[in-house]
Amino acid sequence: MRSLALALWGLVLLVSSLSGRLDLLLSGAFHPLVGLSGVVLLVLAALQLPAELGAGRRPPAPKSWWLSGVVALLVLAIPPNPSFSDLAANRPAELGEEAELSFLLPPAQRSLTDWVRLLRSQPDPSLYAGDPVRISGFVWPQPGDAPQLARLLVRCCLADATPVGLPVRWPAGPVPQADQWLAVQGTMAVEEHNGESRSVVVAQRITPIARPSRPLEP
Amino acid sequence: MERLATAWAIFQGLLLEALPFLLIGVAIASLARWLAPGGRWLQRLPHHPVVGPLTGAALGFALPACECGNVPVARRLLAGGAPLGTALGFLFAAPVLNPIVLASTWAAFPNQPWLLAARPGGALLLSLLLASVLRLLPETALLTPALLEERRLNQPLAEVGLLERRSGLVGAVGAPPPQAPVQRPPLQEVLQHGSREFLDLAALLVLGCAIAATVQTLLPRSWLLAVGGAPTLSVLSLMLLAVVVSVCSSVDAFLALGFAAQITPGALLAFLVLGPVVDLKLLGLFRVLFQPRAIALTAAAASVAVLVLGQWVNLLLL
Repeated sequence: MRSLALALWGLVLLVSSLSGRLDLLLSGAFHPLVGLSGVVLLVLAALQLPAELGAGRRPPAPKSWWLSGVVALLVLAIPPNPSFSDLAANRPAELGEEAELSFLLPPAQRSLTDWVRLLRSQPDPSLYAGDPVRISGFVWPQPGDAPQLARLLVRCCLADATPVGLPVRWPAGPVPQADQWLAVQGTMAVEEHNGESRSVVVAQRITPIARPSRPLEP
Repeated sequence: MERLATAWAIFQGLLLEALPFLLIGVAIASLARWLAPGGRWLQRLPHHPVVGPLTGAALGFALPACECGNVPVARRLLAGGAPLGTALGFLFAAPVLNPIVLASTWAAFPNQPWLLAARPGGALLLSLLLASVLRLLPETALLTPALLEERRLNQPLAEVGLLERRSGLVGAVGAPPPQAPVQRPPLQEVLQHGSREFLDLAALLVLGCAIAATVQTLLPRSWLLAVGGAPTLSVLSLMLLAVVVSVCSSVDAFLALGFAAQITPGALLAFLVLGPVVDLKLLGLFRVLFQPRAIALTAAAASVAVLVLGQWVNLLLL
């Protein structure tokens, strides 16, 4: 039972690592560590299996091992599928005090996160009016306002995901649904919001896209 | 249903991130067991109520792991007969006083030098306090029966109360009989022991991560941060956040960076000092070391101390 349980946990770590699930759960820095731990657990299980089989009658495994083994099976069987807008809604949108940006990409090449960082470090909307925008993200509903296009920043794991969003002026028609992933092309503009001027993306072309394989930003 | 899916994903994230660190901790504990069988050196660690915990805290520099990895090593220290204060000092201070955590704190807050001194300083103070509070409990009320049994085997008989002794002569004087040199245990046995320990801890980690993921999904984090600027409330809410989020001490500084601008400095320090000592994920793991009453005492004492620390910092810096 001991080798079996070790092998099961090793499998959980290795499968999560190889199947790309970790891209949805953890910051990239931890991926090699998880895969390596999986291999180590499988090797440990293989080293102990012969002795365990040859030992004859053994004391029964503790109940906690069985229970956690069931959880390990469930983790293998049910891949994670979080609602990004749910994660974002639960958390304050704050990027912290970013240092000066070290370099600046041309407007059309900036990602959503690049744009948000730029707007935080130099919050003068008139600087960017008319710049072309090509970004992608998920739809993040805002109470009392139009939904924003957002991404999640993750430093460790999904538990510390922090949303960053850009206000979007959507074209007339149905408002996009929460959690939907969209690629948006348009231009930056300035609008009045609660008595303050802010940058807003005027969407000209909206294309639904699949969730990217690496949806979390560092 | 969406909530459930999100909680499941957070659970997997917490668990998959913590398991490798748990494995590292168990590996270090097993290695110590193999290299230094019998743990004579453990018993020679200082017994002094202040020097003991400080020595334990200093051991953290030799073990760059976060709080999950520390639990198996602290268990090894206690089982090997190390003085209680030293083992507790290690358990509570080492998750902050280690190179990785200090480096990540520095990387996250290069513009707040006071935090670089206050975080390890606060962790050290907290560990000293917790060690002295928990030492008030008799070991039988503090440690789990299984751990206590193992600890008694490795303690000199003179340190064990008369009622707890299973052998020896009452009233015997003079030097204890020389103990036979302890053989290094076979590698297979060390592997078995380490594997059992890993599986026991993994089961508790599953429990802790499940609680943390559920509470996180149900409790909107914006509520906790809504009180941002109020001195006392901000400290309290950030303490609650640290307990709920249960993120590893090696990365919590980066998480704190996300809301550092909105909160008081005392609240920021409270988050960074309390999280590595008490959180929902750890409460499960502590079950291999402590009796429930001792866990409650740890949580209560740590909360009061961190609240005072946060208030004091706010008084100085606000």
